[in-house]
Amino acid sequence: MFSVNVARKAVLSVCRASLRPAVSTVISRGYRGDAPEPTLIEIQLPPWQERTGESLDIKRKRLLYESRKRGMLENCILLSLFAKQYLNTMSEPQLKQYDRLINEPSNDWDIYYWATEAKPTPDVYQGEVMDMLKEFAKNKDMEQRLDAPNLEYLDKSN
Amino acid sequence: MSAVCAASRVLGRKIVSSKAISTQYPVVDHEFDAVVVGAGGAGLRAAFGLSEAGFNTACVTKLFPTRSHTVAAQGGINAALGNMEEDDWRWHFYDTVKGSDWLGDQDAIHYMTEQAPAAVVELENFGMPFSRTEEGRIYQRAFGGQSLKFGKGGQAHRCCCVADRTGHSLLHTLYGQSLRYDTSYFVEYFALDLLMEDGECQGVIALCMEDGSIHRFRAKNTVIATGGYGRTFFSCTSAHTSTGDGNAMVTRAGLPCQDLEFVQFHPTGIYGAGCLITEGCRGEGGILINSEGERFMERYAPNAKDLASRDVVSRSMTIEIREGRGVGPDKDHVYLQLHHLPPQQLAARLPGISETAMIFAGVDVTKDPIPVLPTVHYNMGGIPTNYKGQVITHENGEDMVVPGLYACGESGCASVHGANRLGANSLLDLVVFGRACALTIAETNTPGEKLSPLKPNAGEASVANLDKIRFANGSTRTSEIRLNMQKTMQNHAAVFRTGDVLKEGCEKMDSVYKSLDDIKTFDRGIVWNTDLVETLELQNLMLNAVQTIVSAEARKESRGAHAREDFKDRVDEYDYSKPLQGQVKKPFEQHWRKHTMSYVDPKTGKVTLEYRPVIDNSLNAEDCAAIPPAIRSY
Repeated sequence: MFSVNVARKAVLSVCRASLRPAVSTVISRGYRGDAPEPTLIEIQLPPWQERTGESLDIKRKRLLYESRKRGMLENCILLSLFAKQYLNTMSEPQLKQYDRLINEPSNDWDIYYWATEAKPTPDVYQGEVMDMLKEFAKNKDMEQRLDAPNLEYLDKSN
Repeated sequence: MSAVCAASRVLGRKIVSSKAISTQYPVVDHEFDAVVVGAGGAGLRAAFGLSEAGFNTACVTKLFPTRSHTVAAQGGINAALGNMEEDDWRWHFYDTVKGSDWLGDQDAIHYMTEQAPAAVVELENFGMPFSRTEEGRIYQRAFGGQSLKFGKGGQAHRCCCVADRTGHSLLHTLYGQSLRYDTSYFVEYFALDLLMEDGECQGVIALCMEDGSIHRFRAKNTVIATGGYGRTFFSCTSAHTSTGDGNAMVTRAGLPCQDLEFVQFHPTGIYGAGCLITEGCRGEGGILINSEGERFMERYAPNAKDLASRDVVSRSMTIEIREGRGVGPDKDHVYLQLHHLPPQQLAARLPGISETAMIFAGVDVTKDPIPVLPTVHYNMGGIPTNYKGQVITHENGEDMVVPGLYACGESGCASVHGANRLGANSLLDLVVFGRACALTIAETNTPGEKLSPLKPNAGEASVANLDKIRFANGSTRTSEIRLNMQKTMQNHAAVFRTGDVLKEGCEKMDSVYKSLDDIKTFDRGIVWNTDLVETLELQNLMLNAVQTIVSAEARKESRGAHAREDFKDRVDEYDYSKPLQGQVKKPFEQHWRKHTMSYVDPKTGKVTLEYRPVIDNSLNAEDCAAIPPAIRSY
């Protein structure tokens, strides 16, 4: 099992433009310490619920705020740039996918790891928007990504 | 969230729609026993503690709790549990006092380090899944500035972690626990100001982003836990949410902030984006090298080397760059080397580092070193409190408690970090002082106490400001003013500071402050108006920035993270590099071992400074001898 996973990852990393170190990340990511990983029983949080009765315009405005205000700088930069590019042209199903992706996961780092493909994306978040985000994270155009953008791109009077 | 708004109405907590302060914005009044502003590690611990003690508690936060900046913390929590080697909290106490460069208040440090093991065990009991050793005890790692036997016994291993997601785990655990005790959360509400009456805090006024309504939270106890203000600088490791909202609210209420000039520069922020490379890298064996490939920390800190205290490492890196041994085309940064470590260790113990290095610096850590630079990371200063978490002012030589107001976490200044914070002491600060605020409130209040009614026009000025900003139509955009502020702070108040550069910075900041009068916003809506919120945050940042730079200009010495090229030494009441015998103690006005208390007139941006003595005694001299000042070397 182990060697099949290693081989698969080796092939995939050759196929993609090499963006990640050629180190096997089969080892469980969540753990550091010498002991084997215990069964983690973490407190259950109330389930995320989609908002009802929200117009698409308002949804976009809310998702803009929620893209720009994240738990750590990496996500602030990545998601606000992503929102600048895609938020205003997303269809309703795409907006709903994005809403769930950025609001349901408890750990902001997970979203970052999935987008950068350091960790596999759970089935429930896979889809069109996740693919767009992964593609965006690859930065094929080698844009300078030094900081989150200002809001003025939204100013209609510009 | 509408579910929460609805819940408040259903539970009938005396919600009143008030037209007194505004006819344009719907105003809703709430009554609680306590309101906590901020839902990071400290805010959640306070909210949980209060709810557990039976107090009807509201938690007002501009972010969903698990998205507070605490989630970024990957290092861990220091506690002298003694799982890896023999340990004693008094050694942790010594390390923290020394780390603070004797500006920390030793009673608060005593409290924090003594409580640390119990705090970690308590978190474990709440369900936080700490990493374990083979024997099943909590695994503890080395971290900068931590030693054994009062600095004489080598490196201590007392940092407890949950793999690389200690911050997230802390938030998840505390949020879950607080919900079991019915804490009322008001998520995506932006707190505007404190409601003060006759010098007492009566609660908070906030904007609900979802529908643009104004909410006044009336409570006898208000806890501020709003975090730091890294975003005053151009390059920082902080999320865009670190805007010093609590500090600014306190300043606008006419109260002082303390020690804002002490800004910690983390040695290893990625050059450019500023994303943090955790100190844990150096704890696992990573080293800093200059253009000559030399491990230069061996020269600056022969014992601790790359694990010396952060300010020492930041200064060493800056000196190397200054003396021409920087790397890159502009020779303006240095390298962090990890490729000498076994790849399995890198993958298992530092998994996130590879991604960050690739995405933001284009570097494969198994082959090449990461370009790094000292980057703004933490604010030691904040709202002054005593060791119980009560906000204080200093009048006529005495510390006076401000009734009804408490502060904890990065926004508080107890002061445990003094002039410089040790890594992994911040998460500890959050839980210990978040709990302390809850305990102090529980000691002096009973749940369900009747509140005197709020003055009808309480919070009027905040609504007027909100309205003014919403329709602002001057000539300079929010983003422009923000950039001016950030560049001024970055160029004039960075790692190394000099008198004339600081003075110029103060003058520039003064004009940037005044340019707020001519600000231009573009979004006139009231629902989910990010432009409005970011402008309110800019107002808050600005108040923090002016206090920081003016305090830095005034402090004519080098201490901890505040390094002056024109005043290279610490100026204490005695010269501690020589024997004390025969020395005359300098009067208070002539030395700098004291806390800065800064005030701002919000209309003009003018900063006034006062000073307050450092608390040099521990809580109990028999339990824990205070550490007299000494020269700080590693």
